[in-house]
Amino acid sequence: MLFDESTLRKLEQLALVADKVRAGVMKGDRRSSKRGTSIEFADYRNYVRGDDLRRLDWNVYARLEKPFIKLLEEEEDLSVHILVDGSLSMNWPLNDETNKFDYAVRLAGALGHVALAAGDQLTISLLNSTENRAWGPYRGQQNSLRLFNFLEEAAEATGITELNLSLSNYALRSRRPGLLFVITDLMSPAGYQDGLSALQSRGYEVGVIHLLSPDEIDPPLDGDFKLIDAETGVESEVTLDATTLREYRERVLGWQAEVAEYLGGRGAHYVPVITDQPWDQLVLQTLRQRGVLR
Amino acid sequence: MAFLTPLLLLLGLLAIPIIIMYMLRLRRQEVVVSSTMLWNQLTRDREANALWQKLRRNLLMFLQLFILGLLVLALARPYLRIPSVVNRSVVVLLDGSPSMQATDTADVSNYPTRFDAAKDEVNRLIRSLSGGNQMTIIQVGAVPEVLAAATGDKNRLFEVIESAQPDSAPADWGAAFALASGAAQGFRDARVIIVSDGGLPADLPPLPPDTAYVPVGVSGENLSVSALATRRGEDKVELFTAVTNHGRVNQNAILSIGIDGQLFDARELFVPAGETVDLTWDLGDDLSIVQAVISSAEFDHLEVDNTAIAVHEGGITSKALLVTDGNIFIEQIFSVLPGLESFKTPTDTDLSESIATNQFDLYVFDGTRLPDPLPAADMLIINPPLDPSPTALIQTTAVVTGTQNTAAIRLTDSPLLQFVDWSGVSIRQMKTVEAPWAQSLVESASGPLILTGEQNGQRIAIVSFALQDSDLPLQVTFPILMSNLTDWLNPGRAFRVPDGLQPGDVVPLVPGATSTGIVVQKPDQTSWTANASESEILFTETDQPGLYVVGLVEGEDIQTAGAFAVNLFAPQESAIRPAEGLTLGATEISAGAGDDIGRYEFWIWLAIIAFVALLIEWWIFHRGTRIPDWRKINLQPLLNRLRN
Repeated sequence: MLFDESTLRKLEQLALVADKVRAGVMKGDRRSSKRGTSIEFADYRNYVRGDDLRRLDWNVYARLEKPFIKLLEEEEDLSVHILVDGSLSMNWPLNDETNKFDYAVRLAGALGHVALAAGDQLTISLLNSTENRAWGPYRGQQNSLRLFNFLEEAAEATGITELNLSLSNYALRSRRPGLLFVITDLMSPAGYQDGLSALQSRGYEVGVIHLLSPDEIDPPLDGDFKLIDAETGVESEVTLDATTLREYRERVLGWQAEVAEYLGGRGAHYVPVITDQPWDQLVLQTLRQRGVLR
Repeated sequence: MAFLTPLLLLLGLLAIPIIIMYMLRLRRQEVVVSSTMLWNQLTRDREANALWQKLRRNLLMFLQLFILGLLVLALARPYLRIPSVVNRSVVVLLDGSPSMQATDTADVSNYPTRFDAAKDEVNRLIRSLSGGNQMTIIQVGAVPEVLAAATGDKNRLFEVIESAQPDSAPADWGAAFALASGAAQGFRDARVIIVSDGGLPADLPPLPPDTAYVPVGVSGENLSVSALATRRGEDKVELFTAVTNHGRVNQNAILSIGIDGQLFDARELFVPAGETVDLTWDLGDDLSIVQAVISSAEFDHLEVDNTAIAVHEGGITSKALLVTDGNIFIEQIFSVLPGLESFKTPTDTDLSESIATNQFDLYVFDGTRLPDPLPAADMLIINPPLDPSPTALIQTTAVVTGTQNTAAIRLTDSPLLQFVDWSGVSIRQMKTVEAPWAQSLVESASGPLILTGEQNGQRIAIVSFALQDSDLPLQVTFPILMSNLTDWLNPGRAFRVPDGLQPGDVVPLVPGATSTGIVVQKPDQTSWTANASESEILFTETDQPGLYVVGLVEGEDIQTAGAFAVNLFAPQESAIRPAEGLTLGATEISAGAGDDIGRYEFWIWLAIIAFVALLIEWWIFHRGTRIPDWRKINLQPLLNRLRN
């Protein structure tokens, strides 16, 4: 099991926050910006011809002798998408507690459970070049167990992920945009910006959870090395000394700041995570602080 | 350039592992990382520095190879061949003889005397002394002195040279050569270097075959007073002087004669080159000290032999009192004994006044009773009257007659009987004398004929017969015996000086009977003092030429007993022309340090450069690629601290 019982209970207290309105197909627990048929009052507007007379507020008409239509809030379900980067670069560090892919799967499980518990429609996809394994869409807490089983079976990162391509494809395929989380290390040389734009143009609200392992922030290396990319096999020769390592650290932090600025400018959430942070602390505290969960 | 340990150059092969290690290091270790994306950005940025990076890596290797090269070179101990005197252990003989005080050096302003120039030569030898070699320095003087024995400590060698002073006495080269041979045997393959102006005697012990000679001095021009003597003539004193020109140039000079501190005469002389000019003066009778000084010579490089002093013996005498009723033999012999002025008085004279004032140095009692109290002076007692009293100084108990009874049967082996022939002496009548404190010199069957002994610090001689009762005064041996006896009694003459004292000679001093000490005032006005605890005291500090005044300490007073002069009448020291070569036995040694090739080792400099290169290598390795920006260094706190 990905989670024990008490953790699940805690997770069930949470709900995902979506800032913008999504078009739900089914009645859900979420308030929608659409005016709908629920019992929650939203607003009034002038009557125009063709309006349903059942929605005329007769009390107001009696008092003001003008017809007003009573607008009620729509309550709908949320479509939640969780995309887990399944490239080889995520499978790092190998055989270590801070493995990014393990961390991503666990995080996806937690967020998925939160979504299911809140009655949202959940789709989880594993992004890599060879196959796009997906689960869902499902709704209802009773599907949590199946979600966890899927994640445990799928817990293997293989191949290369072109983030731009994978995200664009997902945007094209998707029939119901909603809140979308990408759990990735963003280590895709071609970038992620085009895919992000494609998703946002389809109406997705995107949150990027950026995973980096501690040894990627602070590599335990010193000397002359030929670095081999675990994902692409590309080789790179570097001579590492104190100065080079300092520059590397500055560069990583600068990269994170750059990503944060880009995503912030486009109204997307950005949560940088180092995988030595306990995941429950991330879910129960950091994500709530960032406004992803409430 | 050559190497002392060239085999160690093989250590240069260590360069191979260094290069191999660098080649291995260039084959980079392969490491799998999650993604090279970030690293690629980094390396792209650093491509601008790539050349420096490559250079830096190679620079480190080159620096290490450079350091290795320097260290291997240093270990191989390279050296340069330089012309030198010293490339092994050295025994230096530094001539300290009087001729080294000559002022004819090549560089008079820096080295006023030959000895200073010689010290500079020795300092040069010390400087060129290479590591591991040792030096022994012997100063050749009257008594050769080892200034430094087998040391490689250059500071110590410089110190002893700095403090070395020339000697005024002629050098003892024989002893110095013996010392040098001994010192050279302590070294393996030692070199003996003689720093001198020559003037070595011919018969010297052999030196090691490798002997070099470094000459000092350039000129040979010198005038000297080569002789000065007085002689008593009739009613006058004759003074004899000789002035020698040791150079190659005819010279004019002034010879001044001073008597007892007053200028007596001055004559201008012409002394041809290599010749000696003799001069004589007739002086008055009343003089004691004569001084001859050469001055105003044009070329005279040695000062110490320009002055000579003579002490006229007639000036200082002892006084003897003959207490006799008339004895022609005694009166005559005492009138001719040198250094004695004799006075005669009848036997019935009251001697108490002269005894109380210590007026006389010697009393001669001829056939008369001894006075009471006895004089505090030496005594010669001839034919004492009968006096068997046991409290008397001598007991005279009987009169013996007959030549048989008085014939000498035993002569003591004593210096007082030197050249004394007693075989022909006949005595008609003698007295039996007993003096337990005295030693019998000549003994007959009836008792001693002559006794000598000391009583209460006084020397007393006893002749137990009247001279008129024997034929001794008619024998040739009589004046010899009397001279020996008076020499031994020797009243007041504190010393006996042979003529022609040289610096370094030993003068025996004899304190008088009543004196408690001897004081000698040396030419430099310092005093030398000795207690009169022994009968003869040796005065050895005659190293300065000049006048030595001897005083006897009598209670509180010091009475001048006389003087003696020490003169440098040494032709080999006055002939100051530096020798061009030395002849030692069958070996000719020419001037110059020889053809030795010295080694100048410079491994220490290589080691220093290697150390600096190591520091640079360390800095490059640790500081990396950046050259420090000096503008960013904040010196303000340091300046503030300095200001405070």
